[in-house]
Amino acid sequence: MIEAALEGLAGVLQPEAFAFMCLGVLIGSLVGFLPGIGGPSTLAIMLPFVMTMKDPLLVIALLVGMDAVGNTASAFTSILISVPGSSGSQATILDGYPMAKKGEAARALSASFVASLLGGLFGALVLFASLPVLRPVVLAFSSPEFFILTLWGVSMVGVLSGNAPIKGLLSGILGVLIATVGLDAKSGIERFSFDVSYLWEGVDLVLVALGLFGIAEVIDLASRKTSIAKAEEFGRGYLEGILDVFRHWWLLIRTSVVGAWVGFLPGLGSSVADWFAYAHAVQTEKNRENFGKGDVRGVIASEGANNAKEGGDYIPTLAFGIPGGTSTALVLTAFVAVGINPGPDMLTTQLNLTFAVIWTLVIANIIATAVCMIFARPIARLCFLPFYAIVPPIVAFIFIGAFAANFHSYDLTGLMIFSLLGFFMRRHGWPRPPLLLGVVLGDKMEMYLWLSYTRYGFEWLSRPMVIALIVLLVASIAYPIVTGRREKRAAKGSEG
Amino acid sequence: MARGVERILFTSFMGVVVLAALFIAKDWPVRASIVILFLGSLGVMLSLAQVVIDFKALDPGAQQSERPTYEIAALDHPGRWGSLEIWAWLWGLFFAIRLIGFQPALPIFVFLYVKLYGGRWATACILTAGTWGFLHGVFDQVLHVPWPAPWLKFLIPW
Repeated sequence: MIEAALEGLAGVLQPEAFAFMCLGVLIGSLVGFLPGIGGPSTLAIMLPFVMTMKDPLLVIALLVGMDAVGNTASAFTSILISVPGSSGSQATILDGYPMAKKGEAARALSASFVASLLGGLFGALVLFASLPVLRPVVLAFSSPEFFILTLWGVSMVGVLSGNAPIKGLLSGILGVLIATVGLDAKSGIERFSFDVSYLWEGVDLVLVALGLFGIAEVIDLASRKTSIAKAEEFGRGYLEGILDVFRHWWLLIRTSVVGAWVGFLPGLGSSVADWFAYAHAVQTEKNRENFGKGDVRGVIASEGANNAKEGGDYIPTLAFGIPGGTSTALVLTAFVAVGINPGPDMLTTQLNLTFAVIWTLVIANIIATAVCMIFARPIARLCFLPFYAIVPPIVAFIFIGAFAANFHSYDLTGLMIFSLLGFFMRRHGWPRPPLLLGVVLGDKMEMYLWLSYTRYGFEWLSRPMVIALIVLLVASIAYPIVTGRREKRAAKGSEG
Repeated sequence: MARGVERILFTSFMGVVVLAALFIAKDWPVRASIVILFLGSLGVMLSLAQVVIDFKALDPGAQQSERPTYEIAALDHPGRWGSLEIWAWLWGLFFAIRLIGFQPALPIFVFLYVKLYGGRWATACILTAGTWGFLHGVFDQVLHVPWPAPWLKFLIPW
């Protein structure tokens, strides 16, 4: 294990890999402090370019580096202009912005950067500590257990990623159906290709991701027409903010645990981690009357958790091939494309790559924090770029990225179709992550189901581990639905 | 109310898509249809349930769910045209690429977008040049990308 750890470290410290990691950190940070463009959209835009790369270490360095730091830089806009740079920094506004209004923006920012760094390191530590535990579990699983796990992953994301569990499940099912499009190699059947040869290869995930996430967010950004807003003054207390984090170290550890746990559960993203952590801080801290009025503990809780979440996110992604969220679903797609095989391999033959992910999480967080702290003032100015300077380059990137999927003119038609789908899904409250996850996991799900059926007939359903996982699956689908109904009934009762 | 009807139509559309998939796959061999039949049947039932929920939500007295949604909600786009404006740009770019090709269409789009929304000449020119440079430098010179032939190729010789 130590050998693999050292090999992973040496891999990410190679000049080329390190340069790619720095590029990833730069892009991730840029995306973080430009409100309106989220991490998943950027990963979707990068996907077609990254998938042409050959070296898995470079892909890990670039994508994991980018994914790890988005929430660090997003604190800029949350604190200075009360607009979350990413969904993971929404709770930071509650205390960060009031601090800025009191002239303590510098203190809030430095506290958030240091909390993000330590949270990120904690997440990486959790991922590292989970390896010895996961190894025997993953190696004991075979196709029936993996089938139920993929089903569980999609349904969990479906049920938990919105306030409409049925829409979420349907969205996941639609994703799996989209994954079945194309020529089935085993039976030779053309599935849903309608005699269009372009569809024989299936629907490219890049188009789905760019349409669902890239264009949908551009539409919001363009329609919002943000003009240059007035920022709060930078204020004082830069050093004080750093010390604040160490004064409240126990809070940081607790909220980092919350973040890592939320990351580990498929379906719960950054936006849940920061709110859960904030709620935990408010419920458990003494002297809570200042929360919401500019208490630095609110900033520490939220920022520590949203970065710790990233480490937790990679546990199911690497060990079982089941992404914890949208970003990891996209990272997973790139991994598979360049020959990284999540699952048992990541804990045995490709353990050095797992360590490369862990080291990238560590180093990327350190670089991002250093960049944010050193260049805080000039970066703060970039938060106010007008929409007309951001929208056209992003649209251009998306169109080029879509075309790069297959270098076919139908790629653009596919992009527009999925953009419309993403737009209407968003408009009517349909969660999009389950659809993407369905497309990512659809092939595997089908393969595991078929292998289970051919190897064991229907007897695979009676395997003890399968039964345990089915109980878990049913419980995780039923629980939010039942509690939702109970809440509605209680609300009706109190009205009556 | 109009949004409610639109919601029902969208849910019905999703349901019809799943139903159509099920119908098409019913005669395929088990190997090719196993997942489609398994999840598609579930999907049809869920679609029906969702349509019923959407119908119930049309009732003005119906309670909205108070459970939090963890996706950033779509904006109700302000202005007379709402999101139609950006959709017009996107479809315009799509058809421009088909008509005149990537290389002229993207820089023209960038330039027009920046200028029509009040950007400075310098901003427009820098972004346009950047886009052209990226397309030409990375995609043409380095990657030798086979751009699709534009429909109006006979009008544009390059």
